[in-house]
Amino acid sequence: MNISDNDVLENILEVRIAQLLINEEYKEGKFKIPIHLGFGHESISVAVSRIMQNDDKLILTHRNAAYNLARVRKLKPVLNEYLLKSEGMNGGKIGSMNLLNSELGVIYSSSILGNNFGVAVGVAMAERILDKSNITIILAGDGAIEEGSFHESLLMLKSLELSSLVIIENNEWSMSTRISERRHNIDLEKFSASMDVKYCKLSGNDPIEYIEKLKELRTESIEKKTPILIEVNVSTLGEWILKNDENPNGKQINYHAGPTPGVNLEDGNFIIKNENIDPVYVIKKNNDIDIQNVGEAILRKFRDEMV
Amino acid sequence: MKYLNFINEQIRSTIEKNDNLVLFGQNISAGSCLGGLTKNLKVNENSKIINSTNSENSLCGFGFGMMMNNVSSVFFMKQLDFLLLGIDHLVNTYNIIRSVKKDLKSSFTIMPIIVDNGFQGPQSSFNNFGDICSIARIQGYVISTKFEAKEIISKKLFSPGFRIIGLSQRLFKEEIMDLEPVYSNDNLSLIQYKQGKDVTIVCFNFSLKHGLELSEECEKEEISSSLFNVTSVTPISWDKILLDAKKTNNLVIIDDSKSENLSCDNLASYIAQNDVINTTIVKKVIDENWLGANSDQMEIDMANIIKKIRN
Repeated sequence: MNISDNDVLENILEVRIAQLLINEEYKEGKFKIPIHLGFGHESISVAVSRIMQNDDKLILTHRNAAYNLARVRKLKPVLNEYLLKSEGMNGGKIGSMNLLNSELGVIYSSSILGNNFGVAVGVAMAERILDKSNITIILAGDGAIEEGSFHESLLMLKSLELSSLVIIENNEWSMSTRISERRHNIDLEKFSASMDVKYCKLSGNDPIEYIEKLKELRTESIEKKTPILIEVNVSTLGEWILKNDENPNGKQINYHAGPTPGVNLEDGNFIIKNENIDPVYVIKKNNDIDIQNVGEAILRKFRDEMV
Repeated sequence: MKYLNFINEQIRSTIEKNDNLVLFGQNISAGSCLGGLTKNLKVNENSKIINSTNSENSLCGFGFGMMMNNVSSVFFMKQLDFLLLGIDHLVNTYNIIRSVKKDLKSSFTIMPIIVDNGFQGPQSSFNNFGDICSIARIQGYVISTKFEAKEIISKKLFSPGFRIIGLSQRLFKEEIMDLEPVYSNDNLSLIQYKQGKDVTIVCFNFSLKHGLELSEECEKEEISSSLFNVTSVTPISWDKILLDAKKTNNLVIIDDSKSENLSCDNLASYIAQNDVINTTIVKKVIDENWLGANSDQMEIDMANIIKKIRN
């Protein structure tokens, strides 16, 4: 591990701890807006942020919290936006699902499934017309690939020879249904092969590994003027047990949006699951980092920001 | 000159004056080039013409994405029906852009042909331009005359921001009306072509030709008319029309769109709220065969309207 790797690991912890703090505020009912937290998305979001150079563009979805936090590395501008304060990242005007940070390349986020694909093709086309040699990165979930716009836009990116990374976060869920509950499997490798688009799969949540791979793919995409489709396995953490009259024995609720009672900051533990599905567990396992000490320093920094 | 040729000429001359453009749409530089609309398009070296895929939804997002990233574009569309596939972008994408991107330097214009000649059957006959525009308060223009073609295309095609400019297929092969305006508002959404003292005629959608015919029939009866064309369906000030109608005390409103909520209804309700003026509204008769392969032409009973004006 080198010094920059340490910074990557800190970046992962920042995204985790910022979300933990947002979740606590959420539980206290401080937000009027819906927020889709991205516990478990820290490695891919930090890796994407780390490979972005100069004028690269990032096009996100409604579940953009981890990516925006990874880019800005501060809590206050994001939190203030969520609180609809004028000091927020977008002047407190647009809430969470469309959060933007144009200065850092986040020029579009969409709450409509599949809506951001077509916009991303336009963004990438503009880069070509303006003779820029950078890349457009598009994020979407496994739900969005059910939309026709996914097919349309990948075809357009390929036909127009536009440098782009299309990253599909496969968390197996679309709101309350698993993939197997709602559709036949889509083999993204075969799908991309049908358009002669390179496919790559990321899994395991090791941010250093992700960064290396994404850097390579970024270079290849720019050099070959082609889109590359990347499927990344993520687990959106924060599931919880609902107990009520209808479910006296408790029912497991998959996390989609809102505050999750399944994650608590007061536990003093920044790891949510002691498994590879949790990026913070993975960085602790794979690296010589004192999660507790580094995490507490970040927590203090963010709490100072919030005062 | 024919309507189609004149519009093609205006598009080409406006394009030549602009750089960093993307012109796109299905077969815009192949085959008939959308019936001639996009024939002989030429762009500068740093611009591009794309015979696009058949991906209307993504193509709408494509235009918005380029606009956000400082490149202006025009999406030429063979028929308005295709735009139904892009409504998500017209509403959701456009809403984001106009709420946060206040300093746009680029444009996105969609130029659909409105298939209003009829005989298409249940599909491909979506003559409801106002509905598309009102769905998200989109600036939408229709072009009927030489003046409108020159002014709207030269000033709006690449003006920063988004708009839709609708063209009438029914008028393609007809001589384009050459009328000198006596008034035009700054936004080119209200054009007045005649000033009279007995009746105020206001035309919506592509009904100006009917309005002009009515005006000429009135003249034969020694009734002088003011003639207005409303070229845009976004909210505009009706005061100019109200003032004129108060003087003539006779208002004829004509709208040849097939919508259930006509753009002209907005003016009619405004007039009703403000003054009692003898008002006649002329619109399409939508009978039980409206889904069939019928003519989309509006029939106007000139004699009856003139009789009403006289009363």
